[in-house]
Amino acid sequence: MPESAKNPAIQPASSPSPSGKAQPFVLFPLGTKRFALPAGIVTELAQPDRLQPFPHTTPLLTGVLVRRGRIVPVYDIAEVLVGKNGPARKFYLIANREFDGAREWTAIPVTGECELASAEPVARTGSLPHYVTGLLSLHDEIVEIVDLERIAESGGTA
Amino acid sequence: MKLGRIEKRKSKARRSEAVILFSVASYRLAIAAQAVEEIRNLEGLRSFHQGFGPGKVSKVKSVLERDDKIYFVIDANMHLRMLGSRPARLLLMRDVNLALSVDAIDRMAEITVLHPLPRAFRGEERNWYRGLVLIGEDVVPVLNPAALITKAELSALESVLPRSESLAAKGAASA
Repeated sequence: MPESAKNPAIQPASSPSPSGKAQPFVLFPLGTKRFALPAGIVTELAQPDRLQPFPHTTPLLTGVLVRRGRIVPVYDIAEVLVGKNGPARKFYLIANREFDGAREWTAIPVTGECELASAEPVARTGSLPHYVTGLLSLHDEIVEIVDLERIAESGGTA
Repeated sequence: MKLGRIEKRKSKARRSEAVILFSVASYRLAIAAQAVEEIRNLEGLRSFHQGFGPGKVSKVKSVLERDDKIYFVIDANMHLRMLGSRPARLLLMRDVNLALSVDAIDRMAEITVLHPLPRAFRGEERNWYRGLVLIGEDVVPVLNPAALITKAELSALESVLPRSESLAAKGAASA
């Protein structure tokens, strides 16, 4: 069971899984649109915290947070997903990223509460950005599943 | 005018390190006190024109002559790829003819834990910083003094100086 499933700030959603190949995803809002991350990499949804910037050159990183004694980099992917003038981010989705075999927390600013959904991913179509690895069809909404590493590879220029 | 000389401290039984906290623009940074020989104001600074060659080190725009030695002054804001700030202090590095211009000196602090820079940071900052420290609730990057300038850049700077000054610069480096 992913840690996110235990987090009361991430609400479970009722989603049909007729084929039994459903996988858990965390749906996070950025403005009017929602995106999905595999639930297995999400640790928690955190309340707003003090962002501490310092000079650096890595695209999309806006600074760090201190969370439970850990220094957590803040990775603002909204610029890539919804453009520079996205709405104010209210929460941080804490995700686990892997670097050279080591896991590290990354905080992703999101604009509202997140939802845990179980659904079968649909293959992406060619016209979608390369960081979209698949799609979720949830009632009347199509949600893009995004890959943090591919967003990082794009260097914020996708 | 000299503001203060930094004495090398004997290490305590507990593994701790003295750092100097300083600011550049709106950021607070730290550097190992052991890497700094002296803190000064900007008195005695003079412009340093490198010409327009390809080897130009743009973050060095001035030099400081002190006790017959020439120190190349690195703009911290340019080193850290920031927009202009208002330097008012110089950190003269120990054992090398370099100085770092910073906006203000905050204070000294004793640190016991140096956190590695998170791996998500993948740019030049991996070279700029030795790591991050927590000062109270603030995260402060600790500068890597060895990364202020490369050997090739230092050689290029020394080659621009008139011969007599170049010898003085080399003298400062070997002092």
